[in-house]
Amino acid sequence: MARVAREMVEKAGINVDQLLDLLVKNAAAELTTFYYYTILRCNLIGLDGEGVKEIAETARIEDRNHFEALVPRIYELGGRLPDDMKTFHDVSACPPARLPKDPTNVKAILKVLVEAERCAVRGYTHICNLTAGKDHRTYDLSQAILNEEIEHESWFSEFLGEGPSGHFMRRGETSPFVSKFLR
Amino acid sequence: MKEFTEKELAQYNGKHGNPAYIAFEGKVYNVSASFLWKAGTHEVLHNAGVDLTEALEQAPHGREVLEKFPVVGILHGAGVPDVPSKP
Repeated sequence: MARVAREMVEKAGINVDQLLDLLVKNAAAELTTFYYYTILRCNLIGLDGEGVKEIAETARIEDRNHFEALVPRIYELGGRLPDDMKTFHDVSACPPARLPKDPTNVKAILKVLVEAERCAVRGYTHICNLTAGKDHRTYDLSQAILNEEIEHESWFSEFLGEGPSGHFMRRGETSPFVSKFLR
Repeated sequence: MKEFTEKELAQYNGKHGNPAYIAFEGKVYNVSASFLWKAGTHEVLHNAGVDLTEALEQAPHGREVLEKFPVVGILHGAGVPDVPSKP
């Protein structure tokens, strides 16, 4: 644990135990999303599905990266992950991104994907709001993750016909915002 | 429609098998079925059984998230604004 770092956050007026609870819940959401997106990606097939598969894969890998980036901050602040994987799954900040009843319905899969990303966007906005100007490191991390979650949302939203995302797919490495926390 | 006092509403805190109700702008919503209100807590900071009208103004979502939940009553003494607040 980074004792002084935690003290600084507490001194800034943040309830660190509540913050840790939020970070663990969002870490759980990232890892469970990585799992559920694996199933969604496998079912993105055919003329419609193949076009979405690549961005679903990028979002899947980046969500795993978010989990990896969150874990050190949880332990730095004196928190920990649950010992039990099922417990961890069940505390997730977002509902499971389950495969729709009709796995051939690409639009239904896209709706699951976009809702998962929207939950994440709300969650990290919440953490950013909570930590802004008080816990600089958690804010920086949450903001980096938020940047990527917003991009994921816009990609899936674009495929649902809600309007252009305004950007291209990733070129080369994943996690352009979060990678600095993974080195 | 049932009218809740703040004290009555507090009993519906989502804990120990109780349903989770929250109030917003004078209406009482049953959010028990929501994944995001498990154990009567939302985003760690918000508890069921209370009036969240002010808290929702600061939330990273609008009032539309409440539309999918059933209204089970009204909150006694709560002012319902004529003009909708910002989304």
